[in-house]
Amino acid sequence: MLMALLGRLGQTLLVLLGISVLVFAVFFATPGADPTARIAGRNASPETMAAVRHEYGFDRPLPVQYLRMMDKLFVTRDLSSFVDHGQKVVPEVLRAAPVTLSLVGGAAAIWVAASVTIGTIAAAMRGSWIDRGLMMLGLVGISMPVFWLGEVANLVTQSRYHHSWLFSWVPGLGYVSLWRDPSGWFAHLVIPWIVLAVLFIGIYGRVLRADLVASFDEDFMRTARAKGLSDSRVLLHHGLRTSMITFVSLFGLDFAQLVGGGALLTEVVFGLPGVGRLTYQALNNLDLPLIMATVMYSAVFVVLANAVVDLVYLLLDPRTR
Amino acid sequence: MPSAMRVLVVLGALLATCPALAANGDHRGGTLRITADAGAGTIDPQINYFSEMIQVQVVVYDGLTAFSKHPGEASNHPVADLADALPEPQDGGRTYVFHLRDGIRFSDGRAVTVDDVVASFRRIFKVHAPSSGSFYAGIVGASDCLKDAEHCTLPGVQGDAAARTVTFHLTAPDAEFLDKLAFPHAYVLPADTPPHDLGNDPAPGTGPYRFVSYDSNRGMVLDRNPFFHEWNAEAQPDGYVDRIEYSFGLDDEAEVTAVENGQFDTLYDNVPLDRYGEIGDRYTDQVHIEDVFALYYLAMNVNLPPFNNLKARQAVNYAVNRRAMQTFYGGEGAASIACQYIPAGLPGHVPYCPYSRGADNAHPVEHWAAPDLARARQLVAESGTEGQHVTLVVPNRAVEIAMGTNLQNMLRAIGYDADVKPIAFAIQFNYIQNSSNKVQISLTDWFADFARPSNFVSALYGCGNFHPGSDSSPNVSGYCTPALEDVMNRAMSESLADPARGDALWAQADRMLSADAPGAPLIQIKKIDLVSKRLGHYTATNLYHMLFSQVWVR
Repeated sequence: MLMALLGRLGQTLLVLLGISVLVFAVFFATPGADPTARIAGRNASPETMAAVRHEYGFDRPLPVQYLRMMDKLFVTRDLSSFVDHGQKVVPEVLRAAPVTLSLVGGAAAIWVAASVTIGTIAAAMRGSWIDRGLMMLGLVGISMPVFWLGEVANLVTQSRYHHSWLFSWVPGLGYVSLWRDPSGWFAHLVIPWIVLAVLFIGIYGRVLRADLVASFDEDFMRTARAKGLSDSRVLLHHGLRTSMITFVSLFGLDFAQLVGGGALLTEVVFGLPGVGRLTYQALNNLDLPLIMATVMYSAVFVVLANAVVDLVYLLLDPRTR
Repeated sequence: MPSAMRVLVVLGALLATCPALAANGDHRGGTLRITADAGAGTIDPQINYFSEMIQVQVVVYDGLTAFSKHPGEASNHPVADLADALPEPQDGGRTYVFHLRDGIRFSDGRAVTVDDVVASFRRIFKVHAPSSGSFYAGIVGASDCLKDAEHCTLPGVQGDAAARTVTFHLTAPDAEFLDKLAFPHAYVLPADTPPHDLGNDPAPGTGPYRFVSYDSNRGMVLDRNPFFHEWNAEAQPDGYVDRIEYSFGLDDEAEVTAVENGQFDTLYDNVPLDRYGEIGDRYTDQVHIEDVFALYYLAMNVNLPPFNNLKARQAVNYAVNRRAMQTFYGGEGAASIACQYIPAGLPGHVPYCPYSRGADNAHPVEHWAAPDLARARQLVAESGTEGQHVTLVVPNRAVEIAMGTNLQNMLRAIGYDADVKPIAFAIQFNYIQNSSNKVQISLTDWFADFARPSNFVSALYGCGNFHPGSDSSPNVSGYCTPALEDVMNRAMSESLADPARGDALWAQADRMLSADAPGAPLIQIKKIDLVSKRLGHYTATNLYHMLFSQVWVR
C-alpha cells in the first residue's frame, strides 16, 4: 500500500514537471511573447528595455529562468505577475479558489440531485413517453454550450426582464463572500449554479438511466425481485446502489477539473472572480506567472482526483485490489 | 446598424452644440461606481502607462504643471499646478526655473518640498519609467541615469529649499518641456517613495482623492484626501463625489448592462458595437461622445518588399476604403475618416488628402471622398510588385479582424496574393514593432500622450524610434529619412519662439509623410461614454476622457 502511494506521488511529480516545462517552453517559443517590452511600457528606450530585461532575469538562460520561476512558485511563493507587478500569483489563486468552490459545489449538488431523480424516473418508466421526454431534455441540456446558456440567462435576468417582478431580485453580476452576506452569496450564485449544472444533469441522467436499465437483467436484481421485494425497493436499494459506481467515478473527475478551473466559461460569463476567470485573464494577457500558477493548480487537482477515484475503485470493487 | 449609426451621429451633433451644464447647487457627496473588465496594472504613477489607471491618477497626483482640466480645446494645454506659475524659458530654452507653491500637503499630511520634486525626477530613472528615455532624456545628466539608474544624481534638476525653486537644465531647447512635465510620469511623490515598482501599494498624492485600496484583480477604492484644498481650479479642481469605487471583473457586454441597470455609473471599456443601437435608442441622454487624439492606421514596412517600393505604398493609400473602416468601427458617430498623419484638432493639422478619387500629390483635396482602385492597380503594375505575397497582421479583436478581411480583399483587388494573420491583442503591437518578425503590413492604433503633433510624427516615423530587432520600436514602418528629420528638428526648435512657424513646419512634415506614404492613416476614433441616469455634470478632457472629480452623482 505504501509503495502504491509513493508510486502515485512520484507519478504526480512527474506529471507536474512535464506540464510546467511544456507551458514554459510553449510560452517562450511563441513569437512576440517576450514580456520585456510589455513590462517596460510603450516606447521604452533600449536602455530601459535592457534594465527591465536584467531586473526580471530575462537575460539568463532559459533553464535558469525556469528553475527561478519554480523556486518562486513553490518554495518562496512570491512569484509576481508580469502584468500587474504587485500581484503575487500564489495568494491570488488561493483567494480565487473559494469562489470556484462555491460555484462548483452548488452546481454539483444541483446536478447530482436532478440527474439521480431524472435517471431513476426514466429507468423506472423506460419506454414510456416520460422516459423519452426526459432523455430528450437531457440531450438538449448537453447540446447547449454553457457560455451561450449563460449569456441568454444574463440577457433575460439582467437585461430584458430585469425590472419585471420575476427577476427584480437578481443582483448584478459578480460575487459576494458567503461569510459576509449569505443571502447575497446565494442570490449571486443560484443562476450560475443552474447554468453550469444543466450540461451535467443531461450527461449524468442519461448515464445513470443506461446503467440502471442494464442492471435490470443482472442476477442480483432477479434475486431481489424473487425475494418478493417491491419494485421501488429493488430499483432504489439494489439497482441504484450498484449503478452509482460509474456515476461516482465520473463525478470525481468532473468535479476536480471544474474546481481546478474548468468552469472558466461560466465564471467569465457571470463575472465570478474564480480560478477559471484568472486563467482566462492570464491567457488573454499572456501573463506567464499567472498561467503557470493556474495550470499547476489545475493539474494538482486533476491528478489528486485521479488518485482518489482509483482509491474509491479499490474500495468499491474487490477485483481491482 | 445603419439606424444605430444615424442615432449616434445625431447624438454627437446635439452634444457638440450643447454647452456644458453649469455646476450649481450642492452636489458634493455620494460614491461614483465604475466598472472595468480587468485591472489597470501597477499603481505606480511613474511606471503605469495604461489610460485606465492614468484617468484615475489625474485626480490623485499633481506635477509642477498639469493639463488644464477645463473641457475641450483648453485641456490640450499645460497650466501651472504645484508650481505657482509657468516659467519663461531662459538660456534660449535650455533652462526653466519653477517656484514651488506653498501650503500644499500630501495625503499623509506631509508638506510638499523642493526635495520631493527633485527626488521624483530622479525616481523616473530609478524605476525605469517607460518615458525615461524619451520625454525626460533631454535633462542634463539623464543619459548617465539611463545607463546607471542606481547611482542617478540627475544634475540637470536642482532644488533650492530656501527659495523654494526647482531649476531644470536641458541639453537642448524643447518646445514640449512643459507638456512633458504635465505627463503622469512626472508626478511629484514624497522623496522617500521606494525606488522600485510600487505594485499594489499606493504612494500619497496631492490631488483631491487618495487611494484607499487597490487590488489589480478585484478593484480599487478612493476617498477624499483630507489635506487637499483647491489652489488652482484649472489645474486641480476639488471633487464632487466623496468616494470612487472601481470594480474589475465584468466583460464589456455585462458592463453596459450593469450601467443601464444603474448598478454602476460608468464603464471604462469601449461599448461593444452590437450595443450601439440600444444605447442610441433607449439611453440617448446617458451617452456622451468625445473626440480623442487617436488614429487607426496601416504601417507598411519600407524595408521589405513589396512596400519598399513607393508606388506600392501609394497604391494601398489609393485603394483603401476608409469609409468601410469607419463603418467597422461603428460609423460616423464613433470615428471620423483620417487621411493624414497628424489627427484633426492638433496643431499642424491642415486638411489635406492626396489619396482620394481624382486627387494626387499635385492636386490634393481637403477631405477623402472615395477609393481609387483603378489608379491603385496601375501603380502596382508600374511598381513591378504585382502578384507578390503579402501578409497583413491584425490584432485578434472582432473590429480589427473585420477591418483586416476588408483590407485583405483590397490588397487582392490591386494585385497582391494577400493573407491576414490575426495575433493575440496582448502581443500584436510588440510583434509588429520587431523588425526580426519581418511584418510587411500591419493594422494598429496609436494614442497621443499630449496634444502635440510630434506624438504622431516623430514617435511613429522618427529615426530615433526605429530600433531594429527590438519589441519596442514604435516606428513600425522602419521609416527614416534625413529630410523629414530635418523638418521635425526645425519644428521642435522653432516652435519655442514662434509657435505658428512651428505648426507650419509640422504641417510640412505631414505632407512629406503623405508623399512618401510609409503608412496609410484610416480613421480617427472617438470615445463613447455611457453613464448612469444619476450621473450629472459630465466633464471630459481631450487627453484623459471623463474627469472623475468633476462629475456628480445624485
